[in-house]
Amino acid sequence: MFTKLDNLMTEEKSRPPLMMPLALSQGVTDAPETNPENPNKIEINDFTLYYGKFKALGNLSMTIPKNKITAIIGPSGCGKSTLLRSLNRMNDLVPGVHTEGKIFLDDSDIYVPGVDVVDVRRRVGMVFQRPNPFPKSIYDNVTYGPRLYGIRRKYELDEMVENALRQAALWDEVRDKLHQSAMALSGGQQQRLCIARALAVEPEVILMDEPASALDPVATLKIEELMQTLKETYTIIIVTHNMQQAARVSDFTAFMMIDNPQNRTGKLVEYGPTVQIFTNPKLQQTEDYVTGRFG
Amino acid sequence: MIESIPVTTTINRRQFHSKAGYQRRKMTNVVMLSITGFLTILALVPLFWIVGYVIHKGGQYINLDFFTHMPRPLGMAGGGVLHAIEGTLILTILAILFAVPPGVLAAFYVAYKPNTPLGIAVRFGTDVLAGVPSIVIGLFGYALIVKNQGHYSALAGGIALAILMLPTIIRTTEEMIKLVPQTLREGSLALGAPEWKTALSVTLPAASNGIITGILLGIARASGETAPLLFTALGNESFEIGKIVQGGLAGHQSIFTILGKILEQPVDSLPLTLWKYAQQPFPERINQAWASALVLMILVLSINILARIWVQVRTNRMQGK
Amino acid sequence: MGKPFLKTANSPTWMRRLHRVLNYGDRPWNGLTVGMAVLTILVMLAIGVLLWLDSTQARAKLGWNFLSPTLNASWNPVSGKFQAWPFIYGTMLTSAAALVLAIPVSLGIAIFLAELSPTWLRTPLSWLVELLAAIPSVVYGLWGIFIFLPTVVAPAGTLLEKTLGAIPVLKLFFQGPMPASGSSRLAAALILSMMITPTIAAVSRDVFLAIPRAQREASLALGATQWETIWQVLIPYGLSGILGAIILGLGRALGETMAVTMVIGNSIEGSLSLLRPGYTMSSIIANEFAEAVSQLHTEALVEIGLVLFGMTLLLNMLARFLVWQVTHRNPQERRA
Repeated sequence: MFTKLDNLMTEEKSRPPLMMPLALSQGVTDAPETNPENPNKIEINDFTLYYGKFKALGNLSMTIPKNKITAIIGPSGCGKSTLLRSLNRMNDLVPGVHTEGKIFLDDSDIYVPGVDVVDVRRRVGMVFQRPNPFPKSIYDNVTYGPRLYGIRRKYELDEMVENALRQAALWDEVRDKLHQSAMALSGGQQQRLCIARALAVEPEVILMDEPASALDPVATLKIEELMQTLKETYTIIIVTHNMQQAARVSDFTAFMMIDNPQNRTGKLVEYGPTVQIFTNPKLQQTEDYVTGRFG
Repeated sequence: MIESIPVTTTINRRQFHSKAGYQRRKMTNVVMLSITGFLTILALVPLFWIVGYVIHKGGQYINLDFFTHMPRPLGMAGGGVLHAIEGTLILTILAILFAVPPGVLAAFYVAYKPNTPLGIAVRFGTDVLAGVPSIVIGLFGYALIVKNQGHYSALAGGIALAILMLPTIIRTTEEMIKLVPQTLREGSLALGAPEWKTALSVTLPAASNGIITGILLGIARASGETAPLLFTALGNESFEIGKIVQGGLAGHQSIFTILGKILEQPVDSLPLTLWKYAQQPFPERINQAWASALVLMILVLSINILARIWVQVRTNRMQGK
Repeated sequence: MGKPFLKTANSPTWMRRLHRVLNYGDRPWNGLTVGMAVLTILVMLAIGVLLWLDSTQARAKLGWNFLSPTLNASWNPVSGKFQAWPFIYGTMLTSAAALVLAIPVSLGIAIFLAELSPTWLRTPLSWLVELLAAIPSVVYGLWGIFIFLPTVVAPAGTLLEKTLGAIPVLKLFFQGPMPASGSSRLAAALILSMMITPTIAAVSRDVFLAIPRAQREASLALGATQWETIWQVLIPYGLSGILGAIILGLGRALGETMAVTMVIGNSIEGSLSLLRPGYTMSSIIANEFAEAVSQLHTEALVEIGLVLFGMTLLLNMLARFLVWQVTHRNPQERRA
């Protein structure tokens, strides 16, 4: 819960710590220190995850470049969602989970003991497969995050709401019904509301777990267009079942599979620029999957 | 294609990095969550306190006489609560007899036809009955039976307790029947068995474990109740089944007459005795009140534990453990 | 009606008769089930009807005055003057006080059991809490009189009289002195709160468990702490269910008789205070009914029973409706 100084003294002294220990903080700081030369927003380093005895992810290593859309594809059950949820430590919610390896967000390992998980989750936002707005008004959904951080003044909140809803391409549709219930919106609108809600806390990365799979084609298209705009400001990682979507939307693609039917451990098979993965994959398995021969 | 929408505010507002803010939120989180744990423990304190004291005080005055003797006149030492134990027994048996068959049958109706007007009405009625204060049920028992019979009786008490048990029985049985897989019932019907035979030979046995649990819990509740008995069974310190049976046999009376004699007596129960003794200024009686409390608690708690274990065993069996 | 179970074209008569019963046993069966279902409803109606009928004289003679609030009520079986207000007030005060104490504790328990407790601990702990409700009312009363009142209530009474009894408006409810025995409305309220906590806690726990997982995930993914999620998302989501649980608890408190009668002091004095002895509707019936001196006396007591019945009837309906509303909102998405 409270960061301990000892735990932050890792062997990686060259990398600056994610958060100064709370006891040593010199007051308010601005954005965390980042290495501007590092083109990778996230670096996954030999990462393994167990649900109890079951090894769900095995020794994954990968980098996620800044301000690009990275897609994770693969057959059902290969661990794509598990990997995604490891990036904002949502897997912590599953009882009996433990991990090995590191995941660096801007040069700081988010799995170091004592790291502030709440902060990680703010910086790495998530949009879920099925839209899950709170049964509150649209306005209250979007301001939920900011108000946790003590932002209370009406004009400030109003501005944040408009900003977030504009970024999510929802503003024009809901601007005069901000105080109506979010549950009255259509599926596609609810999903964009969830995106706006995540944007309101000003994350740096947005994780999307099959965000359009519950939506109709028109709504799906809107979301895909949205992603292109958003990537200018945020780094986006999307898990998708839909290969055509991955090919349309992403700049980089990671292809995952289980290593064998007994273990069912998820492994990274191939990773590279989307164009290359889909037209000229290096491995036979990748080619088999993207050409639809299985999965 | 959506045109680029300019982001008009600075990314990563100051507030999102305020360490003091984080600290406060984390602190609140820990404090509030700890409070819930503390409150849970607080709520359990009376449980252990009461059980502990009942065992401590009641245990001191329990002896064999307590279970096998009738009460002595006020002020005299010794004696027991045989009358109350026998009374509790009779009342509980009566309650089961009057509550279980109608309850199970009504539950069959509700489980199979829940959305008919009658089904809805029964579900509503069960809810209402479950919420009626037990003393009001006692008033009802008085108005219905005692007034018409002209005297207090075990019968009236038994019926009052049965009304108390009825909602529990109906609800539990209904849930258990619904849990029996449709395929079982359909298989039986497909073989040509009529509805009633299916119900009795297939559904009932399948649901029986759960139904028995419901009955056990109903008994636990009914045996601990006092209020409904205040004006129905009333209480009777000279109630002794042995004497009635002996007298009946001596006078060559039939079983039915003897039974009738038993049922038409006012009768005491353990909780009723507790209630009376606790208010009497004789230390003897107070001690016996504690001892009765102990017996009552053991009775009620063991039925409860038995019911839970039953459920656990049944669940394990069904899961093939 | 089903098809014939067995064919009996050429069998002897007795066999045919037997087969007729087996084949057409459905009719008596259906009759029985319907009959018992009707019986259940009849019982419920009968209670209301009998209470109404057996209080006719009282209602006619005493009118609305019987129930109206008054500071100097008389309850005189000999002269035939009856006013039930002290009992109504006593019931309302003790139940309200019990709720004030029970709600935070029950919510805390529900939150702990549903959100914080490890899965293996949840069932045993829930069962222990429910055991509190299994203790018979008279045992609560016995323990109350001889242990709880002298140890906790009497000292609490003196303390409260000194502290809250000095504050201007509150002093109305905390005027002493509390009887040395501790018999008071406060004692009744405390014991009642112990008895209704399991009810409120169990239902609220079920309400929390029924809230879809996605709501918690959404909140936590935004960077909220667990408590913030519980307080700002889960409680508002399950509010109608929690309200239902509270009303169910209130219903139980209204009807409690034995434990209350044993510790409340059974006095008709007109004080408003929690620290003074009082009376409730159920305890006056319990104490006086069996020895009622006149027809009017009896009927007055029955009328009190009628009011009690009406109150709990309304509350129960309200509670069931609210609980049903929340648990049926998302039937597929129960949290495991």
